[in-house]
Amino acid sequence: MATLNLNAINKSFGSAKVLHDISLAIEDKEFVVFVGPSGCGKSTLLRIIAGLEEATSGSIVIGGEDVSDAAPVDRGISMVFQSYALYPHLSVYENIAFPLRVQKMEKSEMDERVKRAADILQLTEKLDLKPGQLSGGQRQRVAIGRSIVRNPKVFLFDEPLSNLDAALRGDMRVELSQLHNQLDATMVYVTHDQVEAMTMADRIVVLNGGQVEQFGTPMELYHHPATKFVAGFIGQPNMNFVPATVLETTGTLTVELDGGHKMSLPVDTTGVSKGDTVEVGIRPEHVTLAEEGLDITVNVLERLGGVSITYGTIGNGTRFCASLSGDAPIQQGKNMRLSVAPEDCHVFQSNGQVLRRKSAPALVA
Amino acid sequence: MMDRYTKLQLVGIYAAVAVFLIFMLLPFFEMFMASLRPLEHLFRSPYQFWSDDFSFQAYKDMWVTVPLLGRYIFNSIFIACSVTGITMIFVVPAAYAYARLEFPFKNMSLAIFLGVNMFTGAVLLIPLYRVLRTMGLLNTYWAMIVPGVAFLIPTGIWLLRSYLEKIPRELEEAAFVDGASRMYTLRRVVLPLAVPGLIVVSVAVFIGAYAQQFLFAITFNQTRELQPLPAGLYEFIGYQSVTWNEMMAAALIGVLPVMVIFLFLQKYLVAGLTAGAVKE
Repeated sequence: MATLNLNAINKSFGSAKVLHDISLAIEDKEFVVFVGPSGCGKSTLLRIIAGLEEATSGSIVIGGEDVSDAAPVDRGISMVFQSYALYPHLSVYENIAFPLRVQKMEKSEMDERVKRAADILQLTEKLDLKPGQLSGGQRQRVAIGRSIVRNPKVFLFDEPLSNLDAALRGDMRVELSQLHNQLDATMVYVTHDQVEAMTMADRIVVLNGGQVEQFGTPMELYHHPATKFVAGFIGQPNMNFVPATVLETTGTLTVELDGGHKMSLPVDTTGVSKGDTVEVGIRPEHVTLAEEGLDITVNVLERLGGVSITYGTIGNGTRFCASLSGDAPIQQGKNMRLSVAPEDCHVFQSNGQVLRRKSAPALVA
Repeated sequence: MMDRYTKLQLVGIYAAVAVFLIFMLLPFFEMFMASLRPLEHLFRSPYQFWSDDFSFQAYKDMWVTVPLLGRYIFNSIFIACSVTGITMIFVVPAAYAYARLEFPFKNMSLAIFLGVNMFTGAVLLIPLYRVLRTMGLLNTYWAMIVPGVAFLIPTGIWLLRSYLEKIPRELEEAAFVDGASRMYTLRRVVLPLAVPGLIVVSVAVFIGAYAQQFLFAITFNQTRELQPLPAGLYEFIGYQSVTWNEMMAAALIGVLPVMVIFLFLQKYLVAGLTAGAVKE
């Protein structure tokens, strides 16, 4: 199939600049997810790759060929839209066959290709129906079928699961991952849902305000977020950020957290000095109940069976969420003590950049 | 939406509807009653609402009084159909362009179209006459078709444009990504989805063409054989007498095609005119 390279893509709508110098190198057969909050430019970037929008500057190279000025069909891409964009007046068969009809492909080959796509997507029974007679998940599959038949080099998905209900979304996620293995194709997938990103992606591009915050594997993003934004975006529940003052920078970084707790954190201290204000990032799942440690007031307690999620405050009202065992002996409205291993903590400078952790779990590929 | 009304409100609503309907339909009813009476009864004093000598005689006699009546009715329908067909040929691509493409003076030209709509043809009769004379089109079918088309294109564009805008853009983008050209997309995706809209616009144009042909016919055409019905009705006005009953009968027969079209396409009209009013 093909690699996909974006070189210094910029995009402005009038005076509003929505994409800033985006450069990415996506490998052959990779499943890459663009994730970010709404308005971060992820859909625009996808539409630029598809050829539906023109980049203000920069170039797009697919499979070694510069396609910046090529029509969508000549780029070797196919796209699945958020609303599926099925043709309501055509049968499922005709919907899937549409790109082939445009090419004026021979009937026998078209038939074979449509049948094969229908087979992969379990739509063989539904070929004569109209899209209106299908469920949301089936419609989604028809849209995918239409993108398969042309054998594109790169598949583009624009939030394809966001119109489905939660249960179906989970199923489709698994199906899409399987499809990726089956087709061995390069896929670019846009979503605002970090769970989709974490579960499906080989690598994730986190976009914020039209800029790439980080491009890496899900585990890299989880264990080594480059910025506070990525740290807050990846992981469920979100990471806690506790303000802290730097006390010592030799060897480890010694800080005093909001609330008075002192910690020595094994991070690279380049760029910070005594007295600086930093933020310590602590994931809710990395804390445990302890005799000594962080003093938390529990405001809300959610018992989910397997885990208990607490929402509370630390120090001068900084919010703090913790994920504890299902039977943790805690009560709403009471205080608790939590400890966290220093090597599990992340430290962010006031500009949002992370201080590199010296010891971190081995990355799971 | 809840539609709960008290008894009193219901009575009020129906009374208002009734007044409105009577106002609209009474002329038709009176036309029908007049067409059933022998001519001399029409001038009887005191006026009798009901008489026992109703007959459909006028519906037979009118063909004799005005021998070209059949031709006039045909002309009316022919002219209205031609106007509709030609108008649609212009309106479909234009409306699509206005709905989807960006080009200079787009909004200004749309506003001008709306402005043209505000003129009645009557204001422009004299210049139109000169244009048609220069082009040698006077006293032909074209004299009634060309101005008809010209005046209906703006309405058609406005109506169809709003319908086409309602078709999701993503459908066209999907077709575009799959390599379909604009024309292919228009033919295979947009137009099939716009069928209800096309019907609405065609019907609106047809009715418009049917209604406006009188003015153009009496101004631009003197050939009897080419006259549409509204102009042909004048032949019931004789030197000595006006055969009102036959004229009413002929007029009713004349509006029949429009009424039939309305009846058959009513559901499209209602759906089409309100389409896009609410987000689905």
